[in-house]
Amino acid sequence: MKLFVGEGNPHGVKVLAAAALWAEHVHINRLQQEEKIVPFMSQPRLPALDLENGNYLFLSNAVCRYFYLSSGHDVCNLSNQWLEWEAVELQPAFSAALYAHVVQGRKKEEVIASLSASLSHLDQSLAGKPSPYLVKDALTVADIVVWGSLYPLIEDASSLPEEMKLLKHWFQTVSQLEQCQKAVSFLMKDGGSSVFKPYLQKQPVPITPSGKPTCN
Amino acid sequence: MAVKELVALEKCLGLNSGKYSSRAQGAGKIPVLQTNKGPSLVGLSTIASHLVKEAKKEELLGSTAEEKAIVQQWLEYRISYIDRASSKEDIRNVLNDLNHYLKDKVFVAGNTVTLADILIYYGLHPVITGLSVQEKETYINVSRWFSHIQNYPGIRQHLPSLVFIKNRIYASNH
Repeated sequence: MKLFVGEGNPHGVKVLAAAALWAEHVHINRLQQEEKIVPFMSQPRLPALDLENGNYLFLSNAVCRYFYLSSGHDVCNLSNQWLEWEAVELQPAFSAALYAHVVQGRKKEEVIASLSASLSHLDQSLAGKPSPYLVKDALTVADIVVWGSLYPLIEDASSLPEEMKLLKHWFQTVSQLEQCQKAVSFLMKDGGSSVFKPYLQKQPVPITPSGKPTCN
Repeated sequence: MAVKELVALEKCLGLNSGKYSSRAQGAGKIPVLQTNKGPSLVGLSTIASHLVKEAKKEELLGSTAEEKAIVQQWLEYRISYIDRASSKEDIRNVLNDLNHYLKDKVFVAGNTVTLADILIYYGLHPVITGLSVQEKETYINVSRWFSHIQNYPGIRQHLPSLVFIKNRIYASNH
């Protein structure tokens, strides 16, 4: 199977980490710009996984889920709930924040502060757990999907609000995994979140979940 | 809407009705199911997948890793793209993509009906209701699939049956 990631496309972080953790025989292709890989989609959609039997996965969470499932794991209700929350709430909010920071030049602390509702939901969910992970006592696809959404903007646990100690610890634990570091350096090449600028500039101005555009 | 749809799904699966509430989320509302055991579950696709397992009809979630991922991908597509289509252009894009995707398919994932067919059918119902006869012909593969799913035993529930004309009445572009 072939995994396609776009240069500077932040959604690549989670699929590359999931591939390194759970997938075998996956050939990674880095595309210089957004290209149409999925034949039935009118717009280019990356990352995309070509399963080489006529089927394609074109949503990054589905790609991560597939790698996780194919290594023999099962996805429980709680993991499903994290993946859905990430797709519906976290991803739109973080994409808008990353855009505001990288393209519109807003201060990182400011845009992170605007995400406090999502971040404190994560921090509170980690409370009272014996392990640093979101589900059960081990790393699951939920950690990778949520981490991969946060990473392009956060990069370092020290960017997270001081009082969210559990969240900081979780973020650091996942970031330190060798497979996650590999995914990050493959895509970001130590360039920081500015590597996402050329990609983001071509995207429409994101609409935040509250329905207001991020500018003005 | 989402709660009504989950109640329809329960009936379709032969389950008793659960306790639902809604939580505000952005401009919309997100369903919450209070379960007997353990904490409540939040979100349409999470709850729907849970109901399928409760009904012991796991085959509706796909049988292989690949099918399972494809089913969940289309559930996410339903929530993130179909439900968020706010302009005519968004709706056209969704219908175009689905029409292209369904060209050589009877079901959304694999060779049998899955939860993806059921939830995309529920999600598209208001959209298809608003289409003219000519538009239904433009999205001919979506129409064929939709007509098939609405006639599939148990799925339609309270939703009105929509009419599709078998023979084209507008000249085809091809």
